[in-house]
Amino acid sequence: MQQTDNNIEHTIFNIEHLNKKIIGMSGYKREDFSVCLGCKICASVCTVNDLSIDANPQELLSSLFLGRTVEKNHPLVLFCTNCYRCTHNCPWGIRIPEIIRAFRETLGIESQFEKAFKGAVKIWGRVYEPYVFLKSATYMLKEGYIRYVPKWFEYISFHLPYKIKGR
Amino acid sequence: MEYGYYPGCSLIGSAHRLNSTTKKIFKRFGHDLKEIPDWHCCGAFEYGNKNELTDFSKSNLKKAHGFCNDIVAPCPACYKNLKEANQDDGGSFSILHPLDVFEYFDIVESIDIKHDLEGRLFTPYYGCVLLRPKETAIKNKDIMENFITRFGGDVDGEKVKDRCCGGNQFFINRWATEKLSRLIIDNTHGDLVVFCPLCHMALKTFSENRKVIYFNDLLLYVMGETDKL
Repeated sequence: MQQTDNNIEHTIFNIEHLNKKIIGMSGYKREDFSVCLGCKICASVCTVNDLSIDANPQELLSSLFLGRTVEKNHPLVLFCTNCYRCTHNCPWGIRIPEIIRAFRETLGIESQFEKAFKGAVKIWGRVYEPYVFLKSATYMLKEGYIRYVPKWFEYISFHLPYKIKGR
Repeated sequence: MEYGYYPGCSLIGSAHRLNSTTKKIFKRFGHDLKEIPDWHCCGAFEYGNKNELTDFSKSNLKKAHGFCNDIVAPCPACYKNLKEANQDDGGSFSILHPLDVFEYFDIVESIDIKHDLEGRLFTPYYGCVLLRPKETAIKNKDIMENFITRFGGDVDGEKVKDRCCGGNQFFINRWATEKLSRLIIDNTHGDLVVFCPLCHMALKTFSENRKVIYFNDLLLYVMGETDKL
């Protein structure tokens, strides 16, 4: 029994710690979310709904505020498009896409493409697209992006990578 | 007039057309674009740590100190990130999107029309970041429509002009981008006119026969710099 209580306490501590980290990374403090009125206007305008997936940013905010777990496969964590429709309509302008980005980064939910993007920035200070495409080639082949290449000819240009001076 | 210029990563790569046409239009109206030396990637929407993301743009502003007072950034993501960093830093620069510059100088009025748009239908599509969040949005949210109708063209797509094409999910969940882009493509008519490289790629990839063009292409056509649209 004692062991179970310890596990529960440990889990609660971890969730609270994780939520605090996510909130901090997104530039907020926990109390900033206390202003949320629960009006759910964010849910009514969320682009993720257009994918026929129920999305409720307000519920995600409440979970972070109350120290509840937000699952890795939460629809917003997986499909938020950074459209800022929620922020635009929120009476408090809460920047939910930025909270979700912090969530994705904290939990390491990144595609091969996103990792390659950041890899290029680390090396050169800029995104060098040929590097990003090469690094994510297996993913893109597997996922069938190759079929769109004929439509992308106009995007092709040649330049060598340039490493910037100073940060 | 002279401006600092922040092209951003996509404009020196896949969106090279947006880069060259922006430079061409500014030159045509007697404005110089001076590229900020050794600019850093703005981070787009790829970073979860807000401070890390803002620091990228703050370092770009540092590099622009003493170099320029106004910075033009055509890519909507770069424009938003730079503008936010500037607001955070006390706002010593003016961060401008080309659409704001076109509006300010009323270039629509000053254009010597070589080709009009009579009898042609267009869907001006702004997407997300040019219009949201409020603090960083462009000033005139109808500028593309105003321009097109002023030169005789017809416009469609009012209901979807600020919807999301899902471009940000393109290399993560392609089906999501396809579904969202098709909502825009299937509910509008005529050539799709955009200003965002990501919207351009998403809409072009999933449109069958619809033409997707940059707003700059339209301007250059009206100005007679190109004969075909």
